[in-house]
Amino acid sequence: MKEKIKIALAQISCKRGNKAENIKKVESRVTKAKQQGAELVIFPELSLTGYTMRDQIYELAETIPGHSTTVLEKLAKKTGTYIVFGMPELSEKTQATIYNAAVLVGPNGFIGKYRKMYLPTHSVFEEKRYFRPGYQTAVFETELGKIGLIICYDIFFPEVSRLTRLKGAQLIVCISASPATRRTFFETLTAARAIENTAFLAYVNLVGIEDGLQFWGGSRLVGPNGKTLVQAKYDEEDLVIDEINYADIRPTEAFVPILKDLRPELFEKLKETAEKL
Amino acid sequence: MKLEPTILDLDWSEVEAKIKRFIKDYVEKSGAKGIVLGLSGGIDSCTAAAISALAIGGDKVFGLLLPEQETYNVKDVEHAKLVAEKFGFKTEMIDATSTLEAFYTSIPIFESTDKICKGNIKARVRMIYLYYYANRLSMLVCGSSDKSETMVGYFTKWGDVAADISPLMDLYKTQVRKLAQHIGVPKEIVTKPASPALWPGQLAEEELGIKYEILDLILYGLEHFMKTEEITQQLSVKKELLNKIKSRWLSMEHKRRMPLTTKIQYRTMGADFRLPRTRH
Repeated sequence: MKEKIKIALAQISCKRGNKAENIKKVESRVTKAKQQGAELVIFPELSLTGYTMRDQIYELAETIPGHSTTVLEKLAKKTGTYIVFGMPELSEKTQATIYNAAVLVGPNGFIGKYRKMYLPTHSVFEEKRYFRPGYQTAVFETELGKIGLIICYDIFFPEVSRLTRLKGAQLIVCISASPATRRTFFETLTAARAIENTAFLAYVNLVGIEDGLQFWGGSRLVGPNGKTLVQAKYDEEDLVIDEINYADIRPTEAFVPILKDLRPELFEKLKETAEKL
Repeated sequence: MKLEPTILDLDWSEVEAKIKRFIKDYVEKSGAKGIVLGLSGGIDSCTAAAISALAIGGDKVFGLLLPEQETYNVKDVEHAKLVAEKFGFKTEMIDATSTLEAFYTSIPIFESTDKICKGNIKARVRMIYLYYYANRLSMLVCGSSDKSETMVGYFTKWGDVAADISPLMDLYKTQVRKLAQHIGVPKEIVTKPASPALWPGQLAEEELGIKYEILDLILYGLEHFMKTEEITQQLSVKKELLNKIKSRWLSMEHKRRMPLTTKIQYRTMGADFRLPRTRH
């Protein structure tokens, strides 16, 4: 496992409903990022299709592995990179059960997927109408370290990142499609999740306008001390690259030993109390 | 939440940027050559036209002045021309009087003393002119409705609110004034009293029975799910007034939506036919 890795945050806008165009854009960004030395290239939530697809999602969802993941696997093999992207996943066992998924592929092909656990269905969001929630966190052991995947609204629930970290993830990748009115929440929470888990956190948000929603971008790589290492522009497409060094976790963890100080008995209390809310 | 004027403050540079991005993005994605606006010389239409010109360039913005004899106000025409000159967009003026007369004389049940019905003809005739120009010039119609008037239904159904985009619709009237100041709309336009110009001497605040400064705070409270008791207490307004505004807001939903049908089949317009706007 490498100790230092170069990560590219590929902040893109999507052509809604046009998977071929979006894949082309993914290919161009991966190629560009690779030329700049990136080993992991991360794209936003539902970057295969665009975020606001409403009823069209039934036509666009695909199984994982499936056609699009195969194309992305080939791209990863060809370029020797790891890629994270978002897509609507059609369950293999049904015809209209869909998950909001994040996929990780690498130079040796398909690695794994994560199904979003917390589906916002309030304000302008209607995810529960279309998606089934996932039930498991996802951490994958790769040549680039242990990588955990979460999606957007999951970041509001510290237990998702915590569980991902406790399963060993040293890098938490959060792909997102966050509209501008929520920027301050995410800017706070990305730092908080990194600090409270003493882990690196890569946040990649969508940009562009879909049905009047303006996605604010501002993708960032956050260190285990909560410091932003690199940040993409607000409101426009961008590609930023930076290196992380997993060895940096140790001094932070020794300085504020959050994982050492965890009190598992509180989790039981939390469960009991939350059930009675 | 404390309902005081500062609660309506926004980062005006950010608001300007967002609205400009929205207009530019929509016009580009639609493939339209630009936008047509009805330019009354009032704060909303002048601000919508000005920010459109800042977004896509004055050469792609077309302001249509549609005065008519009954409500003609030379100041309004001057203001419309002033803002067009300052922000560099083209205008054209059409006297709508004869068109309106044709409607009045051809409608067997027309009653000139019913000023609301008559006024609505004016708003809808303006809409017809705007859409004709938009179709003919391969442009889009940009509306200038604000959030205060849209919430209380202070507009003509299929009239002044009819448009392809309404970039100011998420800003209360007092916020539109702030945005107007921020982007440099001349002061005399920003400070003059609002009027839909449907009949002579019509003033929005008089007709609504409330100043926009208070109305906007009430609406802000309602938007944020505040209880009516809390709003009346904080703003020291009468419960009856608040209930009247709340009831207007709720009862006018029919003006803000596509026509209602009854569900008969699998997926229904306006109900569960939920498609994205992938073309504009």
